[in-house]
Amino acid sequence: MAWLSMVFTTYLFVFYFLPLVLASYHAVDHLSRRVGASSSGTCLALNALLVVASYLFYGWWNPWFILLMLGVTVVNYVCGRIIGQPGISRRLSFWVATFAVVVSLGTLGFFKYFMFLEINLNQALAWLGAGPVHVLEITLPIGISFYTFHALSYTLDVHHGTAPPVRSFLDFACYIALFPQLVAGPIIRYNTVADQLVSRTHTLEKFSSGVTLFILGFAKKILLANAMGRVADAAFGAQSLSAPDAWFGALAYTLQIYFDFSGYSDMAVGLGRMIGFEFLKNFDSPYKAENITDFWRRWHISLSTFLRDYLYIPLGGNRGGAVRTYFNLIVVMLLGGLWHGANWTFVAWGAYHGVLLAWERFQGKRSAYQRSPRPVRVAATFVLVVISWVLFRAATLHEAVTYLGAMLGQGGSGSGMLLIPALLYTRGTLVFMAVALLIVAWPTQAHDWSREITWPKAVVVHPLFCLSLMVMFSQSFNPFLYFQF
Amino acid sequence: MPIDRRAYVYLAAGFLAVIIAPGVIQTVAELRRGETPGALELFLRPPTARNLHAYEHGLEASSLVIQRLRPRMQYAEWRFLDDAGEKAVVGREGWLFYRPSVRYEVERPAIGPESDSSDPLPAIRSFRDQLQARGIRLLVVPVPNKESIYPELLTRRAQGLGVVVNEQTQHLLDELDRNGIEHVDLFQVFRRVKQDQGRTGTGRLYLARDTHWSPAGVHAAAASIARQVLAGGVLSRGDHAYSERSVVAQRAGDLVEMLRSASIKGSLLPESVVCSRVVQSDSGAPYEDRPDSEILILGDSFLRIYEHDVPGAAGLIAHLARELGRPLASIVNDGGGSTLVRQDLARRPALLSNKKLVIWEFAEREIRFGTEGWRIVRLARSASEFN
Amino acid sequence: MTFRVSRTILGGSLLAVVLISAACSPSASMGGGTPSSDPELARHGTIEVTAKLVEIPEGAIFERELYNYATVLKYQVIEVHRGSVRGQTIYVGHYNPFKPRADAADQLVPNIGGDLKTFREDQVERMSLDGSMLDEFSGAILNKYFEEDPDPIYWAVWTDLVSG
Repeated sequence: MAWLSMVFTTYLFVFYFLPLVLASYHAVDHLSRRVGASSSGTCLALNALLVVASYLFYGWWNPWFILLMLGVTVVNYVCGRIIGQPGISRRLSFWVATFAVVVSLGTLGFFKYFMFLEINLNQALAWLGAGPVHVLEITLPIGISFYTFHALSYTLDVHHGTAPPVRSFLDFACYIALFPQLVAGPIIRYNTVADQLVSRTHTLEKFSSGVTLFILGFAKKILLANAMGRVADAAFGAQSLSAPDAWFGALAYTLQIYFDFSGYSDMAVGLGRMIGFEFLKNFDSPYKAENITDFWRRWHISLSTFLRDYLYIPLGGNRGGAVRTYFNLIVVMLLGGLWHGANWTFVAWGAYHGVLLAWERFQGKRSAYQRSPRPVRVAATFVLVVISWVLFRAATLHEAVTYLGAMLGQGGSGSGMLLIPALLYTRGTLVFMAVALLIVAWPTQAHDWSREITWPKAVVVHPLFCLSLMVMFSQSFNPFLYFQF
Repeated sequence: MPIDRRAYVYLAAGFLAVIIAPGVIQTVAELRRGETPGALELFLRPPTARNLHAYEHGLEASSLVIQRLRPRMQYAEWRFLDDAGEKAVVGREGWLFYRPSVRYEVERPAIGPESDSSDPLPAIRSFRDQLQARGIRLLVVPVPNKESIYPELLTRRAQGLGVVVNEQTQHLLDELDRNGIEHVDLFQVFRRVKQDQGRTGTGRLYLARDTHWSPAGVHAAAASIARQVLAGGVLSRGDHAYSERSVVAQRAGDLVEMLRSASIKGSLLPESVVCSRVVQSDSGAPYEDRPDSEILILGDSFLRIYEHDVPGAAGLIAHLARELGRPLASIVNDGGGSTLVRQDLARRPALLSNKKLVIWEFAEREIRFGTEGWRIVRLARSASEFN
Repeated sequence: MTFRVSRTILGGSLLAVVLISAACSPSASMGGGTPSSDPELARHGTIEVTAKLVEIPEGAIFERELYNYATVLKYQVIEVHRGSVRGQTIYVGHYNPFKPRADAADQLVPNIGGDLKTFREDQVERMSLDGSMLDEFSGAILNKYFEEDPDPIYWAVWTDLVSG
C-alpha cells in the first residue's frame, strides 16, 4: 500500500496550493530585493520557503513520512559536509560516501522491498514444506525512490568531485524536497542544479514558458492519459479478450503510461521554470525510437542517465569486453526494473529490456532489423515496447502471460469477450486515442514548443487549460502511475 | 513568427487569473453568506491524514466553480463523445447501462476471496439454515443484470447472443443447487419471454435508461416466483381478490438521475411506462402490505420500483401478492440486497414470528459488488425471542 | 528583456492576503455559530444532547448516487439538555450523511436539518433526536455497529456543529 501526497491535477493543488506558493514565492523574491539582499541571500530565503511548501505538499496525506525524508536529507547532508572538507583523505571520503549510500539504499530497500522479500521467502518456505514467517506490513512512502536517488546523486557527485558541497542545509533540503519533482521525478542530478540552488533568475519569459509547459503536461494527463487509462483498465481486468481487443488494450496502456509520465514530467519542469529552475528534458519522443537502445536514450532520460552514470559505468560499462558488456546491460536493466516496484513483473520487464539491449549490441549494424527502412525499424521497436508494457502493467507474472496469450489469440472465451467492446471502443476513446497517436507522431515536443511563446501559442494554451480543468472537474478517475515507484 | 512580449504577459496573467479566480470567488461567496471560508478550515483541526483528506474533499465538494461547470462539461461529453461519465455506459438504441453491472459482466473475478464476506454462498446457506430451524422456507431470487438479458443493446458484437449468464453467476446458481437452496432462475424465465417477445408483443423486460426492470419484467418475475411458491406445497393460493388497473408513470430513469446533469436530463424525454396497479377487487384501494402475512419478501430497489415509487402498488410485491392471492410483508433496502436487508430483518425479529416463507431478492451485480459484502447475519436465537 | 515576473504576481498575493485577513476577521462567524441559540433544536425531536462524534467507521459515509440511506454513528454524550438517553455512549442514525444537514431533507425525510456541513471525527455536535431510528426511518440503513447490536439507535432530526 502506498500513501499519496498532494497531486498536481487536483482542485486543491491548482486553485489553492499553487497560487499561494507562487504568490508567496514571488512576494519574498520582490521584497528581499527591495531591501537590498544579495542574489544568494534572496535565493536562500526562497529555498526556505520552497522547503516549507514542499514538506506541506509531501506530507499532505501522511505527515509522518516527512520525518523519513528529513532523516535521509540529514544523513546525506552531514556526509556531504564531511566529504567536502578540504584535505579529507580519499579513503575517509570513500567510507563516508559508502555510509550515506548504505543508509539511503537501506531505507529504500526496507520500505520498498522488505515485504516483497518476506512474501517470496514464505513462498519458498511453503515449497520446502516449512511454516511461514510473519509478514510485517510496510506502507510504501510515496516518492521514496526519487528522493533517495536525489540524495545519492548529491553524495556521489560530491565524493567524485563533480559538484561542490552544498552551502547550507536549506539549499540541500530544497534540492531533495523540491515539490515539482519530489514524488514522480524527473530525477534531478545534483550537479545539474547546484548553481541554481545558489542563484537563479526569474524572468517573465521563463515564467510564461513554464506556464505553457505545465498546461501542456496537465492536458496530456487529464485529456489523454486518463482516457487511455480507462481503456487499459478494462482490457487488463477483462475475464476474456480477443486478440484485437488485447492489442487495443495494450496500445491504450502504452499511450497512457507515456502521457501520464511525460505529462507529469512536463508539469514538473514547467513548475520548476515558474520558480526559476531549469530541469533537463525527461522524454524525447520515445515512441519514435529506431531500436531499444535508442528508446532508452529517449524514455525517462533522467533515470537512464542516472543508471548509466552511477551503475553501468561503475560496473565497467563496455570496457570489459563483449560478454561483460551484455552482462552489465542486463544487470542494470534488471535493477532498473526492480526500481519501479517490488514485483516480479518489473523484474521481467527489466530483463526483457536488458536482453533486447544486449541482443542489439550483439547484432550491431549487421542485422536485417537494423538495415531495414526507418519506418520499419520504428514500427518494430514500437511493437517490442508495447509488448514490454504488458509485463509492466500486469499485476502478476501469471496475468502478464495470460494477457500476452490473449494478444496471440489465446484469450479464452465467454460472454465477457463479447460485451467488452462497450468499454473499449466508445466514441470518446477512439477520438482521444487518435489525438494521442497524432501527438506521438508530431515532430515538435512540448518541452521545445514551450520555449518561445508566440501569439498563436498563447491563444491556444489558455482554452486548452480551461478545457482540461473542466474535464478534471467531471472526472473521478485520476491516477498517477509513477507515484507508485 | 516574431516574439511579442505581450504574449508572455497575456499567458502569465491569464494563467494566474484562472488559478486564483475559483478560490477568490469561493471565499467572497462564503463571506457574503456570513460563513468562515472553507479554505481556513485547514487551521481548525489537527493535521492528521484523515482531516487533511476530508479538508481536500470538502473544498472540492463545496466549490461553486465545480458545481457550475461540471454539469456543463458532463453535457458536452455526453453530447459530443457519447460519454455518460463514471457511472453509466452508453449502449445502442438510446439505452444506458450501469457501469458496475457492465464491469460485473466483463471483469475477471479476483483470485481467491476478496474479503471474508465476498462469497455469497456461506451467507445464503447460514440464512437458509437459521430460517429452516424456525420452520421457514427460503426462496432466493437473483435478478439478472440488464446487460445479461439485453447484451445486444450494450454492444453490437453481442447481437444474436440472447441471454448471457456470467460465469460467477452461473457458479452461484450451481452452488445453490448443490446445497439444496431453493431459487428462482429468472435467467431462464426472461430468456423464454425474450424469445417470445416478437410473437406475443410483450414489451422489453428492462427500462432503457434505468437499471431496473419494466412492468413486463415485473409481471414475468412475479408469475414465475408465484408458480414456484405454490408448487412447493407449503402455501396454497389465498383468497384475497386483487385486480389490475392500468396507470401511466413517467420515469426519467435512475441512470439519468445518476449523471447529475440537468442539461442531460433536459435533453431526454422521460420514459412513459404503462404499469398495472394492483388494487383490492372489492374496495378499489391500492395494494398494501400486511406485516402479519405468512410470506415475507426481502430485497432491494427491484422491489421498490413501481411499488413505493410512482405509481405505487405496481411493483413486484403487489404483483406477487396478486398472483398468490394474499398480501405480503416486506423489507426493502435500496442497494442493500446482499447484507443490509438481512440486518434490517434481524433488527425486526417480530416480523418472522408467523412466517412460513421468506423470499429473498437481490440484484445479480451484488454477487460481487454487494454493499457490505455478504456477511453472515445472526437472527434472534429462538422463536420466543420474537415476541 | 528581463521584465521581472515578481511585480506581476505581487498584486495577486496582496489580494490573497487581503481576502484571508478579511476571512479571519471577527465578523466572520464559525460554522456552528452558537448552537444553543438555534431555536430549531428545541422544535424538533424528543431529546436534545451535546455529544462528541467518537468515530466514523471506514465506509460509513459515502456519496451514493442512486439511493438514499442512513448511517449509524457513535457519540460520547457530553450534556443532555432535554429528555434522556441510555448511557454515555449513544448511537445515532443520520440520513444521507454525505450531504450538509441543511440540504439533506427531501420528500422521504422532510423534517431534518442543521448547520453542520460535514461529519468529522471528534466534532462536538448539538442534536435534537427522536428515540428510535427504526420507528422514524424505513429506508436503507448502513450500520457498521451491527455486530455490537446497539439499542436503541437514536434518529438525528436537527444537527448543529458546536466545535471541531
